[in-house]
Amino acid sequence: MADVLTAIALFILAAIALGLFAVLRSRVAIERMMAVQLLGTGGAATLLLLGAATAQPALADVALLLVLLSAFSCAAFTLGERGAAADEPAEPGQSS
Amino acid sequence: MSLVFDVALAAGLVALALHVVLTRDGKGAIIAFIGFGLLLGIGWARLASVDVALTEAAIGGGLTGMLLLRTQAHLAGRGVRPAQTGHPSWRLAAAGCTIVTLGLGYVVLAFPSPAPSLAREVAGSLDATGLGNPVTAVLLAFRAIDTLLEKIVIILALIGVWSLASDPNWGGSSHLRPASVPEPLVFLARMLPPFGVVIAVYQVWVGADLPGGTFQAGTILAAMWLLVMLAGLRPAPETRAAGLRMMLAAGPALFLLIGFLGFLIAGGFLAYPEAVAKPLIVAIEVALTLSVAATLGLLVAGPPDKEPAR
Repeated sequence: MADVLTAIALFILAAIALGLFAVLRSRVAIERMMAVQLLGTGGAATLLLLGAATAQPALADVALLLVLLSAFSCAAFTLGERGAAADEPAEPGQSS
Repeated sequence: MSLVFDVALAAGLVALALHVVLTRDGKGAIIAFIGFGLLLGIGWARLASVDVALTEAAIGGGLTGMLLLRTQAHLAGRGVRPAQTGHPSWRLAAAGCTIVTLGLGYVVLAFPSPAPSLAREVAGSLDATGLGNPVTAVLLAFRAIDTLLEKIVIILALIGVWSLASDPNWGGSSHLRPASVPEPLVFLARMLPPFGVVIAVYQVWVGADLPGGTFQAGTILAAMWLLVMLAGLRPAPETRAAGLRMMLAAGPALFLLIGFLGFLIAGGFLAYPEAVAKPLIVAIEVALTLSVAATLGLLVAGPPDKEPAR
């Protein structure tokens, strides 16, 4: 059972890596910010699976923190956005 | 299977670290760095250091990212251009980092086996403190002097940041709210802090027996406070306010007081009588959490840049 859970965690880790590769190369700033959200949710899923696999319930607390702080970091991203918007003409995809 | 996972995780960390260093755009690097902090949290969890994982997620994935984003916004506002890659100083830094990495690798591989450890003594004397989490016992009982000095050092760092303020702004407040606050940010700043406060209280309480503790909880509280200030729901406090300064000093002051009280009731500095060790430690933790939260929040908020109200 533990092996199966670790294998699923590995699969999620690989999915995060592929997603990060795509998102971090994006030219749109907002899309790059999604990398943090991706790691927050994906990382929480990985930790919960690992916690179940290794019988370490405390890992659920780390998952909780990951989700909370990735949401916080997304909010911090608005810092200085006004200056960036004034420098560059409207970024593609920002209106959606 | 777990070995495959660990190798994949380590490869991901190295790739992300290289991306942070090599990417040309400052904001992209900071975002990748926040992601690196979150991923490193999983790494520490894999090393069975859950306390470190919590701290890394809170500091690396939360506050440091915001500190860097603020600095970057500040520099962009002044029109400062970052140094280009390929600059001689860049190569010097790269060479220095390579040497440090190789040196660290050598040291880790040269560790004696079995490693010298006090873990058995700590586990043996854990009952005397009434705590269940050996990390908290080391931080607040066996090596309490280190923790005390650490908490005082972050206050010294805050004084250093404040001293960067110009003379008329001394004692004033920092300006965090951007010129235009997007609606979703206001929504997030109303929704997230209640969850954050509950999680922080839980972290302090659970820290006595399971992974968790003051620093993690303080960091979460600081992050939630910054979020509220960032959305403009509450203004940043004036740094000359007596209440704020008392809150900053209360944690280390209580720690010192109980430390000196140890001479009278337990025969030594920072010694606790066995019967009340746990209540004393939890009281210190609660006071320290509030002080750490205020200190870290103000550290990220930066030097005051608004004059105090007359």
